[in-house]
Amino acid sequence: MSFEYHEPTSVAEAIDLGARFGADGCFLAGGTDLIIHMRRGKLHPRHVVSLHRVPGLDGIDANGSVAVGALVTHRALERHVAFHGRLRALVEGAEVVGGHQVRNVGTVGGNIVNASPAADVTPVLLALDAAVTCAGPEGERTLPLDGFLVGPGQTALRPGELLTSIRFSALSERSATAFLKAGRRRAMEIAVVCVAVRLTLDAAGERCTEARIALGAVAPTTRRARGAEQALVGQAPTQKALREVGRLAAAESEPISDVRASARYRTLLVETLVTRALTRCLARIRDTAS
Amino acid sequence: MTKLALTLSINGQRHEVLTEPHRTLLDVLRTDLGLTGTKENCLEAECGVCTALVDGRSLNACILLAAQCQGREVLTIEGVGRDGQLHPLQRAFIEHGAVQCGYCIPAMILSAKAYLDEHPTPTEGQVREALAGNLCRCTGYQKIVDAVLAAARKLAD
Repeated sequence: MSFEYHEPTSVAEAIDLGARFGADGCFLAGGTDLIIHMRRGKLHPRHVVSLHRVPGLDGIDANGSVAVGALVTHRALERHVAFHGRLRALVEGAEVVGGHQVRNVGTVGGNIVNASPAADVTPVLLALDAAVTCAGPEGERTLPLDGFLVGPGQTALRPGELLTSIRFSALSERSATAFLKAGRRRAMEIAVVCVAVRLTLDAAGERCTEARIALGAVAPTTRRARGAEQALVGQAPTQKALREVGRLAAAESEPISDVRASARYRTLLVETLVTRALTRCLARIRDTAS
Repeated sequence: MTKLALTLSINGQRHEVLTEPHRTLLDVLRTDLGLTGTKENCLEAECGVCTALVDGRSLNACILLAAQCQGREVLTIEGVGRDGQLHPLQRAFIEHGAVQCGYCIPAMILSAKAYLDEHPTPTEGQVREALAGNLCRCTGYQKIVDAVLAAARKLAD
């Protein structure tokens, strides 16, 4: 590792530096991925622009729709009171990332930009229809997270552009979220498969009006299982229907076999975890309603 | 390569360090300052032996640039005891036979301290979860967990 180090103190200054260095530069947030990639020689930026002195990027605004600053740590996400109700999947995703040491510094924005196919929080954000705001020399743009993730380690972020915040709508009544992760051990584990779901029922609580199902570690990016989502809309959420949706999600996944699990095992996990996560959502909606 | 002149506050003491930007807190602690209680092993934030507390929070010193520690308070195992007295956690580790080869222990104690500072009356499950980012290849963890729970009781008295 060898680079020049910069510590901007405003978003504007960070963007100026980003624009100046282009592909020769890297923004540093928590560093839990970046420093490791640099040490392994996978990345070798000539300029590292640390964001830790840039104010205003580590806030959570949950009055109405939700805005999460890119520098919000997993620890802050886990502990925010606004995420202990309908948005609980955010806590469930954040609290299984690494150990305390990693969650204390690793950021939500970094997790997205690192674009691991096995990221834990990204599927939750996909299930929430989150949008990401990026700032660059040509100004600010906001785009759906779905589509922002392009491939392993690849996003639609342009050279020098900075992810500043993540936004999503608050959930309506009769909605809930859930996140489940399978690994070989309970802590410090990269997901073998992870699943995030969001479910909304009609006023009578009898039919699904909206569903989101996002999967991790079964495709080149974390991504939604749209066919399975569609199949649930208008249906009564019976165990039979939820099992069928699990099968559809499994059919939509494209896992690989690697050191952690076979493709076949991952497919079976998707089926089970999607059904289980939707069942959990349903219980949460009914708990809140009663 | 431009060197950086850093002022670091470690265990309550100010240190002036001139270093390259890529060097980590771990590099500076061990090599420049001779504070070798913080250990080096995987260098990938997996094993946890390099755990230090920065502003009271545990983190992996192997992936934190020293430059990012300016203006923050760093605590290492050398600063845990006070006035020549062991911290109750250190005493409990000895009393419970929680130390075998010892390599992971400074970091175990720091992770446990960070957790107990915020959660004074943890359950056994919470202690295990609090130490998830710290690997030990000798003890099987049980005596470490026992020691942390005993220290928590002691600290709560």
